[in-house]
Amino acid sequence: MSHIDVRLDKVGKKYRLGTHRSADTFWALKDFSLEVHRASSVGIIGPNGAGKSTLMKLLAGITSPSTGRITIVGALSALIEVGSGFHPELTGRENIFLSGSILGMRRRDIATRLDRIVSFAGVDRFIDTPVKWYSSGMYVRLGFAIAAHLQPDVLLVDEVLAVGDAEFQARCLARIRELQREGVTILFISHDLSAVEQLCDAAVLLDHGTTVAEGSPAEVVAIYHRRNEGPQRVAAPGDHPAYVQHALKLTNLTFHARSGAPATIVRTADPLVVHVRFEADTRLDPIKFEVSFYSTDGVKLYATLESIETVDLPEGIVEFEIPLLSLQPGTYYVGAAARDARSSHVIGEWDGGSVLHVESSGRNTAGQVFIPHTTRVLDVSAGAAGSARFRRG
Amino acid sequence: MSYAAHNRPVTVLEPPSWRAVRPRAALARLAQFSDLLFTLSVHRLSVRYKQSHLGAAWAVLQPLAIMVTFTAVFSLLGGVPSEGIPYGLFAYAALVPWTAFSSGLSSATGALTSHAYLLGKVSFPREILPLTYVVAAVIDGAIACVALAGLMAWYGIGLSTTALWSVAALALLVAWLVGTGLVLSAVQVRHRDVGLAVPVLLQMWMFASPVVYPLALARAKLSPGLYFLYTLNPMAGIVDTFRRGLVLHAAPDPMAIGVAAVVVCALLPFAYLYFKYAELTMADVV
Repeated sequence: MSHIDVRLDKVGKKYRLGTHRSADTFWALKDFSLEVHRASSVGIIGPNGAGKSTLMKLLAGITSPSTGRITIVGALSALIEVGSGFHPELTGRENIFLSGSILGMRRRDIATRLDRIVSFAGVDRFIDTPVKWYSSGMYVRLGFAIAAHLQPDVLLVDEVLAVGDAEFQARCLARIRELQREGVTILFISHDLSAVEQLCDAAVLLDHGTTVAEGSPAEVVAIYHRRNEGPQRVAAPGDHPAYVQHALKLTNLTFHARSGAPATIVRTADPLVVHVRFEADTRLDPIKFEVSFYSTDGVKLYATLESIETVDLPEGIVEFEIPLLSLQPGTYYVGAAARDARSSHVIGEWDGGSVLHVESSGRNTAGQVFIPHTTRVLDVSAGAAGSARFRRG
Repeated sequence: MSYAAHNRPVTVLEPPSWRAVRPRAALARLAQFSDLLFTLSVHRLSVRYKQSHLGAAWAVLQPLAIMVTFTAVFSLLGGVPSEGIPYGLFAYAALVPWTAFSSGLSSATGALTSHAYLLGKVSFPREILPLTYVVAAVIDGAIACVALAGLMAWYGIGLSTTALWSVAALALLVAWLVGTGLVLSAVQVRHRDVGLAVPVLLQMWMFASPVVYPLALARAKLSPGLYFLYTLNPMAGIVDTFRRGLVLHAAPDPMAIGVAAVVVCALLPFAYLYFKYAELTMADVV
């Protein structure tokens, strides 16, 4: 039988709202139970306000539960970015010792890991420079590198992939994998659904402070995504009683190349065609079709709102053609909905949680979106003829 | 299995209650984090000295300035008895422990609220934060002692074995500073009024302690009952014993130092328990 390293027994956390005299309370976490086996990795996902950060604080021992009991076997550390504990006047080296000790490391352990921490953060040349001269990226990377070199039995991981650039994120992922191989028990409390899918053996979906779903990461992420579209699914009692909830049924959402063939690989800046298949019971007019792109943490990145005068087909496909996909490589969720154009009430919805994996186009770009562009150098030196200015491009 | 289960510490987290305080486990954890106490205290001093031009000289200048003020005021008013030594030395010998206490307590009071960002993010024994200010105050006090030794040499006053009483008084001073610092910093988290009240309180407290006048004056002017109440303030016994042992070469007033020792030793454990109890929910309110 394998050991249970983390056990939560009907744990609840109640917060008082407003001032300390106020009687209004709310339960950020309620009757939450969980068992995490040794050397396993469990992801805990949920929307904002689900109780994830409260859970993190309880497990880390930052605050006490209001009810229930938490038992942790082994030394627990939280993999968090500790840069906010840095003192700007101190050098990188001094701050490593300061932050390392705050995280519970011994000075001699910090000294032996110093080189690894410095190269992990990629700040080798600046280690004896006061951190007030660091760029914000260096600051964050150093803060995170210290926590990444703790040697815990149980590790709490927060939003690891929100830190630094793609290269640094890859390094963080590699470090987590290394800890997994060493048999560290990991609790991954995150918005980042794709990271949970990649790293965890099991997942728990948390909402309004309670467990909504438990199971394999893929199952739980799919449920999360369906719920994410939830509020729109509620039938809207409106001034158009003819439009009942299922007046229009969206039956599928698929990705295609321009030729119409199913898209196998989607790259940044490629064209993309989205097909939304529908079935209609009755003639509908006018309606709006909406295709939405979400990041893995549930942020709506883009939504189309196309008006269509009349739909008089029992079955059909609405085609959205995107000439140039402006999404950077990564995982995205795509949803679709149909609305009554006058009331904006949702009359049909695709909630199958379609996942779009965007691969790199090979272009050297960074950031959240891809903006089509060209680059050239303009000559503005004195004497340059106006017409010659554009010749260097 | 690569990990031996029996070697792993077991942590149980429960709703806040006095039973959840577990003082022994708390002290063991504090010992584990002794490096943090060291690092943060060094940091505290180095940052302070890096940011001011006079640096460590302030440890001497603060009590010196008060000493000069009172010497001037009392010489205008016709003087205060100073038990046979120059008034400046008499006052400075008491201002060294008093300044260590007052600057230590006022900075320790804000120790938790000024580190709110850490309290919400990382878990470590919170008492380390006020304790680092105690360490910094003690080191400042040691620097001020060097100036006191210079002043003693100037007036041709040597050391006697009674200086051992002064050392005992300093030990009580540190324990008292730890106790009051723990309580006030924890109360400050919930009631910010404390931080505003402490400077005023310390002003009054100084005059309620034999700093700029001798303990004998208080004993002579107060009824026995009032004098007992007066000595319930541990700073009375501590300051007087320190000065007597060091510069007056005399044994302490037994009642003053006895009452101070009882009060300090009785309150310190309760101060720690109270702090650890308040710590359980500190991050929610800070």
